[in-house]
Amino acid sequence: MIRAENIVRSFGEGDLKITVLKGVNLEIKTGEFVAIIGPSGAGKSTLLYQMSLLDRPTDGHVFIDNINTSHLSDVEKTELRLLKLGYVFQDYALLPELDALENVALPMIMAGMTKEDAFKKAEQALLRLSLLDKKHNLPSQLSGGQQQRVSIARAIAHDPAILFADEPTANLDSTSADPVMDAFLDLHRDGQTIIMITHEEEYAKKAERIIILKDGVIVSDQKIKK
Amino acid sequence: MNAIRTGWFLALRQIRRGGKGTTILIIFIMVLTFLNLVVVSGLLLGLITGSFEQFRESYSGEVIITSAPLRDYIENTSALISYLENHPKVTAISPRHSVGVSILGTLNDLPGKNERQNKISTRLVGIDPDKEEVLTGFSRFIIKGEPLVAGEEGYIVMGYNFLRKYSSFADANIPGLDLLADVDVGSRVKVTLSTKDGGIVSKDFIVKGIAKSKIDEVSTRMFINDSELKRMLPVNKEQYQEIAIKTDPDFAPDLVHELEEFHKPYAARIQTSGAAIPSFLRDIETTMAVLGNALSSIALVVASITIFIVVFINAVTKRKFIGIMKGIGISPLAIEISYILQAFFYGISGSIIGLILTFGVLKPYFDAYPINFPFSDGILVATASGAGIRVLILLVVTLIAGYVPAKLIVRRNTLDAILGR
Repeated sequence: MIRAENIVRSFGEGDLKITVLKGVNLEIKTGEFVAIIGPSGAGKSTLLYQMSLLDRPTDGHVFIDNINTSHLSDVEKTELRLLKLGYVFQDYALLPELDALENVALPMIMAGMTKEDAFKKAEQALLRLSLLDKKHNLPSQLSGGQQQRVSIARAIAHDPAILFADEPTANLDSTSADPVMDAFLDLHRDGQTIIMITHEEEYAKKAERIIILKDGVIVSDQKIKK
Repeated sequence: MNAIRTGWFLALRQIRRGGKGTTILIIFIMVLTFLNLVVVSGLLLGLITGSFEQFRESYSGEVIITSAPLRDYIENTSALISYLENHPKVTAISPRHSVGVSILGTLNDLPGKNERQNKISTRLVGIDPDKEEVLTGFSRFIIKGEPLVAGEEGYIVMGYNFLRKYSSFADANIPGLDLLADVDVGSRVKVTLSTKDGGIVSKDFIVKGIAKSKIDEVSTRMFINDSELKRMLPVNKEQYQEIAIKTDPDFAPDLVHELEEFHKPYAARIQTSGAAIPSFLRDIETTMAVLGNALSSIALVVASITIFIVVFINAVTKRKFIGIMKGIGISPLAIEISYILQAFFYGISGSIIGLILTFGVLKPYFDAYPINFPFSDGILVATASGAGIRVLILLVVTLIAGYVPAKLIVRRNTLDAILGR
């Protein structure tokens, strides 16, 4: 499904050059729930940005469904993100002028769905995240946990092949974080491929595979026995 | 197509739920820009157009026939007048005799040593008061005394600009410019003219009224009953120097053409009111138009920079959200279109409010209360076609000013935008 080959990501030049990822190789199959953990500065987020096509590696290649994304233009990558990827940001990243329903429907409208169909699918996604009653609330009228669940609804509403989550519970207390994690588990049970970065070991253990990153290299990659 | 739909979806909500203060401020700027485009140039043009209007209303009518160059009078006047009086589209005519005269203002005392006589040279116009009233509403020019009455003799109405007491040039020491001193309503003046056979005719008149207008053809000429002037000249048939004609303004060019056909064998100059306006006034009109366009261009540049800055700041503050949109797969084109549509909304809103203000408030106001300039009553010249062109210009400028900053922000690196670095 997604394969990272020898990913190197450096910043700066000359003496100031910092290499954050030092040749990462990784393959994630359809339906897997993978948690990437590691200390601060290990390169977790940078790895996620490469795999989710938000950034371009200095060296190496990312393959999604056997498509080498290195050769894609920015516009083509944007289109690939729209059709195949879903993204849950750490700080929810909802558009403030759009209500919950519209935030969720937006990518589907972009993908060519009619507004009515997009709203119908968005409602289904919000229902799944137990937020249908908040569908006309603006982000400013939702709690942090609710905003993050809207963000998840937006990421899954168009049935993406892979769902990326960048520390989705980092900004939430445990009362709000637990329903968010439950949502991921629920999605995984339905076969959704999820790649999640987290600091919290407790949540990482809910995944079926944990990758530990340290100083830009994978130091551990193991399946969790349930 | 999806980009347009998504752009529309975003723009609509960003306008509806975005900062009301910013939206009102931008629209206010657009209204001011529109007014700057239409009203400033319209008023500049209106200064001179106002004098054209007055020339038509106070003197020429829609068509004016005058004697041809080097001719004393309009030839074959009788037939021409008869034709005009029976023309279905001619609503009024006013034939006028006009002759150069000298007018003596002091009849009893001789001037002192080295003093010039209290005398001026001007043109004396013979009018039919009733016809003149229908054509120009002549009585409205009388600021003191009374207008002429048909049939009465021995009375003169004097244009105010040659009377020291009233003239706007009274306090200017212009060499060679003589003004009549101590002449007012009720004064007695002596009018002297030369006849065609070389004779001199003099007659005393009592000043019955003082006429004031911003048109020289009224303010610097003297008026008596036409029948009396005919006897002084003397002419025993109709040999007019001017015939002013009132008709539908749109029909005026056709009437000129028609009269030229009718009058071909005879000498006369037949012109629409617009064509009869002296060329220097036309030059002023052109200058005013150039000046108006120059000011409008500056206003347009200022407005485009303002819009650019406002949209740019708006886009910069939303840079993170623009990054997020790109992150979740919204195409850069859709985001740019959303900004273009917002700019279009600002432009069209400003233009609509500007149009309402221009045609609903300012134009009727300046028509009712023209700006009182010394040489004209300034009006606001604003036509639907002219305003339409300015709306188009404003929209194009707004769209460009909205698109460029949006493009600049949208093309930045997606991840940098999301992470705010």
